[in-house]
Order: sequence, then structure tokens, then C-alpha cells
Amino acid sequence: MNNAATSDLRPLPDQPLAAKTLRVWKIGAAAESLFLFLLPAGYWGSTFVWDLPMWPLYVSAGFFLLLALLNIFVIQTLKWRRWRYKVYENEVELMRGVFIVERVIIPMIRVQHVDTRQGPILRHYKLASVTISTAATIHEIPGLEMEKADELRDRIARLAREADPDE
Amino acid sequence: MSSWKRQHPAAIFVSFLGSLKQLVITLIILFVFGQSAQGLPTPVLAGIFGVILLFALGGGFVSWWKFEYMLLPDELQVKQGLIVKRNRFIRRERVQSIDINAGPIQRIFGLVEVKIETAGGGSEPEFRLIALRRSEAEEIRVELLKKKQSRSFAGEISAGMDEALSDGWNVKKAAPDFKWKLSPGMLLMAAVTSSGVGIAATFAAAVISQVPQFLPDWLINIAVGWIIQSSIVYIGGFIVTVLLVAWLFTIISTVLKYGFFTVTKQGNDIHISRGVIETRQLTIHADRVHAVRIVTNLLRQPLGFCAVYVESAGGGTKDEDLSTILLPLCRRKQVVDLLQEIVPEYAFVPEYEGLPKESMRRYMIRLAVPALLAAAAAAYLIPYGYIAFLLPAAAGFIGYLQYKAAGISSEKDYLFIRSRSISLMEVFLPRRRIQDLEYSQNPLQRLDNLHTVHVSVLTTIIGKTFSLKHVSDEQREIYMKWYSYEERERLSSIETEPLAPDQE
Repeated sequence: MNNAATSDLRPLPDQPLAAKTLRVWKIGAAAESLFLFLLPAGYWGSTFVWDLPMWPLYVSAGFFLLLALLNIFVIQTLKWRRWRYKVYENEVELMRGVFIVERVIIPMIRVQHVDTRQGPILRHYKLASVTISTAATIHEIPGLEMEKADELRDRIARLAREADPDE
Repeated sequence: MSSWKRQHPAAIFVSFLGSLKQLVITLIILFVFGQSAQGLPTPVLAGIFGVILLFALGGGFVSWWKFEYMLLPDELQVKQGLIVKRNRFIRRERVQSIDINAGPIQRIFGLVEVKIETAGGGSEPEFRLIALRRSEAEEIRVELLKKKQSRSFAGEISAGMDEALSDGWNVKKAAPDFKWKLSPGMLLMAAVTSSGVGIAATFAAAVISQVPQFLPDWLINIAVGWIIQSSIVYIGGFIVTVLLVAWLFTIISTVLKYGFFTVTKQGNDIHISRGVIETRQLTIHADRVHAVRIVTNLLRQPLGFCAVYVESAGGGTKDEDLSTILLPLCRRKQVVDLLQEIVPEYAFVPEYEGLPKESMRRYMIRLAVPALLAAAAAAYLIPYGYIAFLLPAAAGFIGYLQYKAAGISSEKDYLFIRSRSISLMEVFLPRRRIQDLEYSQNPLQRLDNLHTVHVSVLTTIIGKTFSLKHVSDEQREIYMKWYSYEERERLSSIETEPLAPDQE
């Protein structure tokens, strides 16, 4: 059909996120996991009021602990390893997702604005995320060193400005 | 012209009735609970009702009194609010579309409602003036739309032409470039084949199943005795009644909604006017059309009919999925000719390339598995439940139809996607309107090297994403390259290789 297309595949994006981003994600995942334990905690509380068997407490606590550990140590790592981006002259490409792998192409001409954002945890680790908005969608590169994020934001903004709107 | 003006006092009633509509549910709840709880004596209830009504009326009055607008050259200024005062400036550059409606109340007073849609994702991209005289509405429309035309086409359209265009707004008689009307026969056909039947049937079933509560006991006793004798007849009769009622309901509502449907093309503007009780008039710039969608539902497919929607920045309504209906019903074969007249850049007859064999099983399994689980549960729980095993077979068949329908192709700078959920949907997308292109792959797709492609375009208020499931690796590469601006740059600099997908 089209040999050119199958033989020379479009290269995958190759730029990783900052290494410290993984630590931020692990902290976030650990905080999220705490909410999971509300359920067994509630059950534990009700054992004081009603006469309930103890085994559901241990089973659910064990299950959530396993889930939390899996999320913090395996899923976040896989997610970090998968995350790649690349900024070309005419477009930005992102790749992400642990189970569902996504690849997005955002042309520079379609970029409406770029900004950097920082939550308290990201700020503590001197990281920032870069948000790229088109008229219809918003994409985020979730963790880069601050200088790099600023530099990337300015670069995308410049390339977007330079991109010829008349094609 | 440039002085602060209020709307017509009928605005008080319009907003009063509007807030009553919102309060209706509250009032019903109050009424029902007040009755059953027996806690509140009737005078108190009446008092509460009275206060609510008074507030609604007072609110209507205040919002009319404290709402003033001024039409300046190129701009509409509005100040409103009793406690929190707000000033709003609507600049003509930001106006996406202007929609002039006349609801029942406005009609009594011979007034219209003006809806102005502005660009950008502000908190309120939509702005309403609920009671204006038609001449005032036209004035606003002319001021906020006409000049934009001359600006965006500066250099292309001469001054005389510009005048002619702006005159077209005032003098309704100016002959349009193109006019299309939905004939009464087609309107009836659109109503009869409308896909709203399913939704209406559910609603009707809910209503009709409540009817026995309001019937006298003796009638129910007779009926129950009869039902026990012939349950199948009863159930069959019930289903037929529900469907008939639902069908009639959709026919009537479609006729009211799309009656007197007219599309006219004048210069670069598409005017759509429709509706029997509530007349809607809408103007869209042809160059604001970001995608065209052709929908063929199951009833229309064998008859060769379809409906055409446009996705545009501004103008969409909530009951149409934020799109605008361009042609409620026409023959599929005629679509290309009609598009040639209305939005010529979308006049294509695409030939879709099907999906690989592997994706057939993905489509079928995806629908059949949940149906199989449901059927298994039914067989276990309900007597004769094994009949439910017909369900997965039907689901598998629909999956097969979805696979057969799914297709993608490109021609020059346009991408075409065809897919089916139940209705068949075709989308025509120009590359320059596609905001981003995304591929995703779930673990099951990974086994078969399949991908889902998503493209996003800007529509009213928010972006909209169209997807096609289960395309092959090769197709992914082809359309990634078709979309990639980097790739085009590279190819145009080499100038030896032609653009891959266009040479298919």
C-alpha cells in the first residue's frame, strides 16, 4: 500500500521529564492513597459501636495497602518512564499513559498560548509544568526543571508566533 | 442611537416566566411534601407560594430596570446589576454569531430575543437581550456584523460590494445567492424518521406505566383480571402503545422545531431560520465553519436520507450537541451539490478506506462481552432468561456493522472519518481546523497493533473531539504524517517525494 509509511516510522518523542517529577508524583499518589484507608478506618470505628467481625477490616486494609504500594512504586514509575515529549520547529509531540498509551501532535500554528504552572510541591522541588493551549484542547507537560520549563515556554511561544497563520 | 436604552418592559414577564420555569420543580416538591407531611397548613403554603411569586416578579422588574444598553459604532455596551454592577463591552471583532429568536411571549408583544455569542472561553460566551423590537434587534445585528465583514475581507471586497452586503441586512428583499427550503413532504419525512423515537419511547413508557395509579379501582380490577388471562397481549399492547405515543410525540416536536426551515447563503453568511412556535434565526459566517457532519440514522439509511450538521465557532445549541443543523433532511446523493452551494470547500464525495480485519473482532467483542454478561445474569435470575442470549448475538451484529461502517481517508487538506454507534456518522475536517491529532492504544488494541485516532476541533464554547477506533499501524503512520506540519516542511524542502496520503 504505502511502503514509505511502514518502513520509516515516525520517530517517538525522546525528551524525558525531570527525574524529580517522579518523586513529586509518588508523594501525590501517597496522599491520594490515604483516602482509600478512610473505608477500613470507618469500619474500624463502627466495630466500637456494633458487634462486627474483625476480618473484613484486615482484608480491606491489606487490599488497599497493596493497591497503594502498587500505585506509588510501580504505576508512577511506569508513568514517568512512558512520558516523553519533543518540540519540533513546527509542532510539539507528547507521549504518555501506562495502560492506554497516547501520542498527541500539536502544531505550532494551532498553539494559542503557553504558560508554566507550579503547585506547592512542584515549587519545593524547583519544578514547573508547561501548559499548551489550542483553541479546543489543553495539554500539559507535567514536570520540568524550572529554567528548562521557562525556556521551553518561551521557545514554544516564539515558534507559535513565527508559525505562518496562512500556512 | 448612542444613548442608554432599556429593553421593552415585556422583558419583566419574560424573565418572570423564565424564573418560574426554573422554580416549577421546587414548587412541585413543596406542594407534594406539604400535602403528605401534613405539617404545613394551607395558608402557610399559599404564603410561601405568594412570596416566591412576588420575588420572581420583583426580580424580573429589577433585572429590566437595571439593565441598560447602548449601541455605539462597532460596539455594544451594557450595564446591569442592582447590587453587583457590571459593565460589559461587546466588541464587534469578538462576535461569533447573532441569533434572533421569538418565543411565545415575545410574539405576543411583537418582540424578539437577541443572543450574541462572543469568541473566547470566557465565563459567559453568550449574551442575551430578551425583549427588543425587531428594528432594534436588526440595528444591533447590522452594527455588530456588517463591519466585521468589511474588515476581514478588506482588500477583497470593494466598498460598493460592502455596502451591498450591509444593505442585505436591512432590506430583506435583496436576493440571496442561494436558498434552500425544507419542503412540507420532506419535513414530514424528517419527523417520521427522526431518531428521537428511542428517547421519547423511554419517556412515554415511564409516563404510561404511571397511568394505572390515576384510574379507579374497579377499572384496574377488570383490567388485572384480563391481564392475567392474556399477559402477552397486554405486554405487546403496552409496547405498541408506548411506541405509537412516542412516535407521535417526536413527529409533532420535529415538525414544530424544523417547520419553515430555510437556509440562505448571502455573500459569506449562512442564514438559517426555522421553527413554528418559536422562530429561530441564526447567522453563521461560512469561514467559521470548522467541520461538517453527515448523520444517517437507521430509519433513514435504507431510504437514502441523511441530516447535515455544521460545527462552527458560535451558533450551536445544546439540544444539537453544540452543533448547528444545516439540513434537517436531504438525500445523501444531493449533499455534495448542496454543500457546493452553501460551504463549497466541504463539497467532497470521499471514498473511505476500511479498517484491517483484526479490528472487526475488536468491534464485535467490545459490544458482545457486556451483553453476554448481562444475558448470563438474566438466564440465572429470571425464568426464560436464556432468551436474553439473543442479546449478545445482536450486539455482535451491531459490532460487525460498526466495523463495516468505519473508514478513514484524506483528500488534499481534508480528513474524512466515517463511523457508526447506531447512526452512521461522517465527518469532514479541514487540516487547518484540526487543533490537534492524537493516537491512543489500550492493552487489547496493542495485541492486534490497532490504534484509536482522535481529532479535536473548536466548536461553540468548547472543543469537540471526533474519534475512530481500531485503525491499523499503517493507517496511523499515514495520517500522522498527513497531519504533521513538521513532515510537510521536511517534504517540501526535499521536493522530491510527494505528500504520502494524497497520493493514495
